[in-house]
Amino acid sequence: MTGRPAAVAAFGKVIANELVSSAFHRLDVVLDVPFAFLPGQFVMINEPGPRAWTFSRPFSILAGDGDTVALLYRVVGRGTAALAALGPGSPVSVLGPLGEPFPAPAEGQVTVLLGGGVGLPPVFAWWRRWGQPGDAACFGARHAGEVPWGLLGDTWRVSVDDPAGLAAGHRAASGVVTSLVADDAELPDGPRVVTLACGPWPLLRAAAALARRRGWRCWVSLEEHMGCGYGVCKGCVVRVADGGHERNATCCQDGPVFDAERLPGLVGSDLPTCGDGPTGAKGGCA
Amino acid sequence: MKRPDWWRSDATAPFRLGPRMLPGRVWTASGCFGYGLAAHDFTAADCASPYAGLGAVVTKTVTPLPREGNPMPRLVETPCGALNSIGLENVGFDAFLTTVLPELEARGVPTIVSLAATTPEDFGPMVRRLHDAASGFRHWHGVELNLSCPNVAEGGHDFGSSPATVARCVAAARADLPDRALLAKLTPNTADIAQLAVAARDAGVDAVSAINTVVGLDVDLRTGQPYLPRRFGGYSGAAILPIALAKVDQIVRGTGVPVVGVGGIATVEDALKFFALGAVAVQVGTAQMRDPFAAARVAAALGQWSSS
Ligand SMILES: Cc1cc2nc3c(=O)[nH]c(=O)nc-3n(C[C@H](O)[C@H](O)[C@H](O)COP(=O)(O)OP(=O)(O)OC[C@H]3O[C@@H](n4cnc5c(N)ncnc54)[C@H](O)[C@@H]3O)c2cc1C
Ligand SMILES: Cc1cc2nc3c(=O)[nH]c(=O)nc-3n(C[C@H](O)[C@H](O)[C@H](O)COP(=O)(O)O)c2cc1C
Ligand code: FES
Repeated sequence: MTGRPAAVAAFGKVIANELVSSAFHRLDVVLDVPFAFLPGQFVMINEPGPRAWTFSRPFSILAGDGDTVALLYRVVGRGTAALAALGPGSPVSVLGPLGEPFPAPAEGQVTVLLGGGVGLPPVFAWWRRWGQPGDAACFGARHAGEVPWGLLGDTWRVSVDDPAGLAAGHRAASGVVTSLVADDAELPDGPRVVTLACGPWPLLRAAAALARRRGWRCWVSLEEHMGCGYGVCKGCVVRVADGGHERNATCCQDGPVFDAERLPGLVGSDLPTCGDGPTGAKGGCA
Repeated sequence: MKRPDWWRSDATAPFRLGPRMLPGRVWTASGCFGYGLAAHDFTAADCASPYAGLGAVVTKTVTPLPREGNPMPRLVETPCGALNSIGLENVGFDAFLTTVLPELEARGVPTIVSLAATTPEDFGPMVRRLHDAASGFRHWHGVELNLSCPNVAEGGHDFGSSPATVARCVAAARADLPDRALLAKLTPNTADIAQLAVAARDAGVDAVSAINTVVGLDVDLRTGQPYLPRRFGGYSGAAILPIALAKVDQIVRGTGVPVVGVGGIATVEDALKFFALGAVAVQVGTAQMRDPFAAARVAAALGQWSSS
């Protein structure tokens, strides 16, 4: 908890809000107050005033600098559809940064970053802040059109479920994102390697299983339905292991980043139930 | 907005509620601002602090034993409000007394403790222990009995809709609370809320809080099943403002019992409607979840008229 930057309730104006791939929009907002965050943290977004939705919507922070914040999102429902309709100059309210970030790198750490779909922002932000040449930054998408190539540049390894339509000059393996590093001999076995993952539930499960197999440490960023985003409503609980017990933790305040070994829903069962999250809800950051 | 001509009070000035002076008339509602500690370091360009000008934070309801609450999902957004089925997840009375309440006192947060119990007689021992632990606290102002949470099978619905049971709960609490404000929070899910208010007053409350959430349900059309695993949830937010106003009016005009208005308040205009009907104070619930400064903004808007 300590060391997290304090949250601001800010008013922002949209600077840009554009598609960066066939499925992902990038939203850039300038705020009325200074903004600092740690990679893995998120913000709650809403329209200010009478058009506000009852609950703000959580989005991981892709980038933030001084008084700007950038998000990457996919349209899935009415909130994200309304977001996609905001043009430059539109007002938005922003509460954040919120939540537990990914850990900063330890001395000598080698990091495997695994982002799936709109689970990219927290691992992307980590990479931008702390990435080292020996790290493996990996992104997975359903198909080539979804990949935000301009954002990733050529340091990111990319995998797609379906390689059809891959444009010349773009490289992507076919398969799940964990396959990009599963048998990478350059990455040592053991806890010097730390995996940071965010994406749909099957990705998180695969990341946790791979980390276990290779003795890596693994942190995952979860997604739960949220009300407040700052720990007051208990609308976002996930089950975590605590000593020999299980207890509720809030995804918004105790998470969204958790040690994979502490999530019984992630590592406890070997029956992957696609799309089922730790508490029966939707699952990972996608 | 401009101050309406009929409004002459200062909602941010201290006022008397039963045996206690409270610092102001704009409060946060139970369950929508946690225990009042999560936002202590939040800032905003246009508001000094989430606590500025607040008369009280009503804590999340605390029960004798810790509760893990209901299965997820617990929240469903509706076009003008939300359904919740949190299930009174809370740390339990012991942890509340030893860790939460002292921190609220240390931070100077004006506090009203919301309590729920399984039987009316449980309230007596809880209030006694609260009094023993916190009688020297300056910022602990009172107790709100949650007699109305519709989510909890063993408490909830029936428990708070019988005037006789309401009276037993209030009497049990009042006996050990001589010098703090005592409120009973009433359910709207009843035919005659005024009758409940009268029972609460006759048993010794200083005011009633009205309303708690309205029983509601929403269906997930992908599955044809209710969204919430428990089927029903508590409906709150902008949609219930007119229901809350009607219930407050029934109590004020029908009985004269002092009322703290709750339900759908997000702005100073919303709050003024309750004051216009005679509410002695107001609470901001669901709106506080999207904006930790919501109640403070309402208080600031009302406070600026005190000097004009
Ligand atoms: C910590 C965190 C970080 C997130 N980061 C991102 C991000 O960087 N980019 C991004 O695109 N999305 C992100 N999300 C997911 C995003 O918040 C949801 O997509 C958004 O709230 C949906 O809003 P909506 O109004 O469009 O959808 P709604 O109309 O509310 O819902 C559409 C569908 O999505 C489901 N749903 C809604 N919210 C959630 C949720 N939080 N979890 C699971 N299912 C949900 C609903 O049940 C419904 O089926 C994040 C979520 C969390 C909790
Ligand atoms: C998520 C949530 C949790 C709540 N928890 C409690 C509670 O623990 N005790 C209680 O008395 N009321 C609880 N309430 C009810 C509110 O205090 C309030 O009475 C109700 O929501 C109506 O006000 P609103 O429309 O401003 O939210 C809760 C409401 C919500 C939305
Ligand atoms: S969303 Fe309210 S506690 Fe997490």
